[in-house]
Formats: sequence, C-alpha cells, structure tokens
Amino acid sequence: MNITKTDTTYDTLHKEFKERIDKLKKLPQMDRKHSIEEIIEENGFSRRDFMKWAGAITAMLSLPSTFTPLMAEAVKVADRLPIIWLHMAECTGCTESLLRSANPSIDSLIFNHVSLEYQETLMTASGWQAEENLENAIEKYKGRYILMVEGGIPSADTEHYLTIGGHGHTGKESAHHASEHAAAIFAIGTCSAFGGVQAAAPNPSNAVALSEITSKPVINVPGCPPSEKNIVGTLMHYLLYGTLPALDVYNRPKWAYRLRIHDLCERRGHFDAGEFVEQFGDEGAKDGFCLYKVGCKGPYTFNNCSKQKFNQGTSWPVQAGFGCIGCSEPNFWDTMGTVNEPLSNKLYHTTFGGLGADATADRIGLSLLTATAVGIAAHAAISAYKNPKE
Amino acid sequence: MKENHKDASAMEAQKQECDITQEMEFAPSYRWQHWIRALSIVILIITGFYIAEPIITPIASSQPDNFMYALFRSWHIIFGFVLTWVVLYKSYLFLFGKKNKMERKAIKDIFNIKVWFQQIGYYLLISKHPKLKGVYNPLQFMAYFAFYLMIFLLIITGFVLYVHVYHNGLGAFMYEPMRAVEAMMGGLAMVREIHHIAMWGVILFMLGHIYMAIYNAVFVKEGAMDAIFSGIKWHKKH
Repeated sequence: MNITKTDTTYDTLHKEFKERIDKLKKLPQMDRKHSIEEIIEENGFSRRDFMKWAGAITAMLSLPSTFTPLMAEAVKVADRLPIIWLHMAECTGCTESLLRSANPSIDSLIFNHVSLEYQETLMTASGWQAEENLENAIEKYKGRYILMVEGGIPSADTEHYLTIGGHGHTGKESAHHASEHAAAIFAIGTCSAFGGVQAAAPNPSNAVALSEITSKPVINVPGCPPSEKNIVGTLMHYLLYGTLPALDVYNRPKWAYRLRIHDLCERRGHFDAGEFVEQFGDEGAKDGFCLYKVGCKGPYTFNNCSKQKFNQGTSWPVQAGFGCIGCSEPNFWDTMGTVNEPLSNKLYHTTFGGLGADATADRIGLSLLTATAVGIAAHAAISAYKNPKE
Repeated sequence: MKENHKDASAMEAQKQECDITQEMEFAPSYRWQHWIRALSIVILIITGFYIAEPIITPIASSQPDNFMYALFRSWHIIFGFVLTWVVLYKSYLFLFGKKNKMERKAIKDIFNIKVWFQQIGYYLLISKHPKLKGVYNPLQFMAYFAFYLMIFLLIITGFVLYVHVYHNGLGAFMYEPMRAVEAMMGGLAMVREIHHIAMWGVILFMLGHIYMAIYNAVFVKEGAMDAIFSGIKWHKKH
C-alpha cells in the first residue's frame, strides 16, 4: 500500500468528518439537560477513560489514532441524530444486554444519551400516547432518523401473530412504514438481521429478516446479543461518514464481521496443534484446549467477540470455556446442529419408518455404503454362478 | 497374474481357433492422471475425516511446537489442489482431447432408450451386452457424470473453506466470488456439510467403480483391469 497516498486519503476523510460534525452541531440537541460529557463524568468515568474509549472505537473502525479527538467530538453530537428503535418478535435481549448492566460502560451511557425518539423498553409513554409518539417522530424527522429494529418479523398469513397497539398495526406494517422514511436502517441482533430463533424450522410464525420486508438497504448487526461495541460502533460509523459502511456478503459491517471467531480465537493454537477438550471438565478443559470437539462453531461464524468481548470487556464464551454457538450467522439454529456437539454430529431427519431417524451424515453414508457392499456381494455371487451373457 | 491372464486368454483363443490383438486403450498421461486422482481422493478422504472429527490426539507437549491438526489440514489442502488440477486436465481431455473422441461418442448412447434397457438387462444377467458407439455404456456414463458433479461440488466448497483459512494470494483472489457461493449455500456451516456429504457420494462411487472394473476384468476377459496399469486392452479377433 502506498503510504503517502493513504495519508492524503486520511486528510480528506478527516476534513469530511470535521465538516459533518460541524453540520450536526448546528442541529438542535434533543431535549436534554445534560451533555454526554457530564453524564459520563457523573457515572464515574474520567476524561482519560473517555479518551481511551474514543481511541478504542477509532481503532475498531480501522481509522488512525489521529482521528481519536474527532471521535470524541462526534460522540458529543451523537444526541443530534434522532433514533427510532422498534421491537418485533424477540426477547428484548439486545436492548437489555446493552442497557441493563450493573456497571454501564461508556457505550451504554452513550446509547442511553442519544436521542431515542421511540424505544418501547425505555419510554415512559404507553398506549395511545406511545403510538402517537412514534407517528410524530416519523413525521417530524422524515428522512433524517436512524431506524434500529430488534426482532424477527412475522409475515405471510401469520403476519398478525405480531400485532401492536390500539390501531392494531402488525409488526410488518410498522417496520415497513418506519423503514420508508429512515435515513439509515440497522437491523440489531440476529432476529432482525436473519429471522433468528423464531425463524428456525418449522418457523410457525413465518418470521423473516427486516431486509425481507423493505427494499431499502439494511445494515445487519447480528449476534445474540451483538456486543455493545458493534452496535455503538455502527452508529458512530454512520455519524462520522454519513454513509453505509463496507458490508460483507450478509450486509454486516466488515470492520466487525470480516473475520471468523476462529481466526481471532485465543485457543487457535490448540486447534492447530490438535489439542482438544474431549468433554467439559476434563484435563484439556483445564489447560484451555480448543473447544472444537465439544461443539464450538467458531470456524463457521463471523464476528469479533474475542476482540470486543462482553460485559464491559470482561469475557466472551470461548474465554469462559464454552464453544461459540454461531449466533451471528443466518439460520444458525438450523445449520449448526446441536449446541454442544461438533457439526459432524449434526442430525438429519431421515425417517424411513423410524429406521433412520435423526442420523448423522456419517451414519447415513455408512449405511448406504453397507447396502451397496451387500448388493455388490450378492451380484458378484449370482454372476459367478450364472455368467453374464456375452 | 498378467501372464496367467494372457495364457488363459491365449489358450481360450487357440481353442476357439481365433487370435487376440492388443490395443493401446489408455495413453500414459491418461493412466497417470487416473492414479494421481485416485491417490488424492484417498488422502483427501482420510485427512478430511480427521478434519471433521479429530480422532488422533497428539502427545501433549508444553512447548508450542505441536501442529498435528495443521499438518492434516496442509496435506488436505495440498492434495485438494492436486486433485483440482488433475480434474481440470481430465475435463479438458474429455472435452477437447483428440484421442478422447471415443469418450465423447458415448454421449449418443444416453439418448438411446434401447441401449439403457439392454445394459440394465446385461447387469441383471438376462440379456446380451449392447453394442456401444463410445467407450462408456449409458449407466457408466451417468455414474461418471455424477462423480464429476460431486468432485466439482467438492472443489467449489473446498475453495470456499480455503479462502477463510488463507486470506492472501489465491485466497484473496477468490475471496469475493467464494463468499457469494457461501451465501448461496446458506452459510459456512452448510458449505462444510455439503462438502462432507459430497465426499460420501465419492466414496459410494469408488466402491461401485472398483467393483465394476473387477467385474469387467473377470467376465469380459479383455484385460480391463490391466489397461489402467499398462494401458493395453485385449480384443478377440473375429
């Protein structure tokens, strides 16, 4: 890569970001008495902590450290961007994991501080008032607000399985309506990104991803839940660039979902060495061996868990000794097999009168191989007795 | 064994008062590609089973100098590429090779329903072997066709898995198209499963292939088995 060229690119980018932040600064701050700095300070974070956080986010978005002060600036204007957050068919786990921590991180504080115009879990309004708030927000910030959707969306003839409020709008109607006027759409969590657990076979509610019900581009931030850094990072990226980030084949931001869990895993050395935990609690488990044989789906899953971690950067599943379940992949519930079993133990529903129910690919293969061998032996024996016609 | 076979054939030929002639059925390049392919497939199956389910545990070492799994993976990838090139070479020969005209001619028999029935009848030991236009009978051709479909499926899914292990060079070159294939197949876990199931298809093919080759050698007595080693097939002179 040409370094001087990159430098000028960054200069231009820096200038663009600055202009965008200045523009956002002019917009009215959304009904807040305190600035984000005050809130962060009130919660016991020093200026130094805050700058450290800004530095980490900057690095995460693959920007050089000269952008750190700019990132700190950007956070301060984050409350100028109106956000509408819709809940669809889901467990509210994404919201909960982001906001309901005993020691809120800077990420959650920022998220609490940004202008959430509508968020069913957080808002005080209820009933007709809540519906009115949503309508007003969409009308008032038409074409300017960021739409964040959590949860899969029941569709087809079971669309009414999710019906919210006095007007009896289905989830699909609300999500579609809100998407129409959004400046940017983020699907937060695996459910809204790919349909999630309720979309698992046989998918009784016909739940689909948000991208299925709108023709506008949707940025997927999957995970069950996605890490707070990936949610806030996506927001900060949009805030700085004003455009959509580089996306992978499943519309996930590349800065977060470019590599597999496996590529970034701290136990990868043990994988390459062939040192595996055979069952939970064995010697290998104590030595921190690879969890592949106890069902880690890290090799098939794209996410940055090992870098960002969860619960204020405390830990993540593999560090805690439990394999990845592949939660940020589409249809992981169906494609990844049983949670604590490797993929080679995945069961196929082959019910030949109950004979081959729930067999693995290897068992089916071996059965077919045996059947073929028996057939061959029979054919060979008959042929030897009664020669083929010439 | 070859000598015995020749003697037996010769004796029989003498008895029937007719001679036998030899024909170069497989050129050296053809025989080489067949055996390189066979060897690659065997190695790929063995290393592949280990990759899916690492059954061999290395002696634990406190030094970070143990690379058992990585070693299996390297051999798998090395022979994966060997297989890829050999299959491409064979596909080229089939499509454009001058000496492979007889292979292409076999396509005509596929559209002849009579040949199908006659061939099935031959295997059921109730009718005579049909007269063929090419070197393959329709059943045989379809088996090979399915085999190549599976091999190409294995190569494609193998490449998808490969680009996620080696991100530079060829991996970087193929990355974007392979990710599109990955999305089409429903994610990396599905790619891995399809790769595994297609392998089982190849194993089943191999069993049938080896049996039919031996069957031909035993009953048709034209040295079908010898031909893939020496290239020479024997015909009765009429």
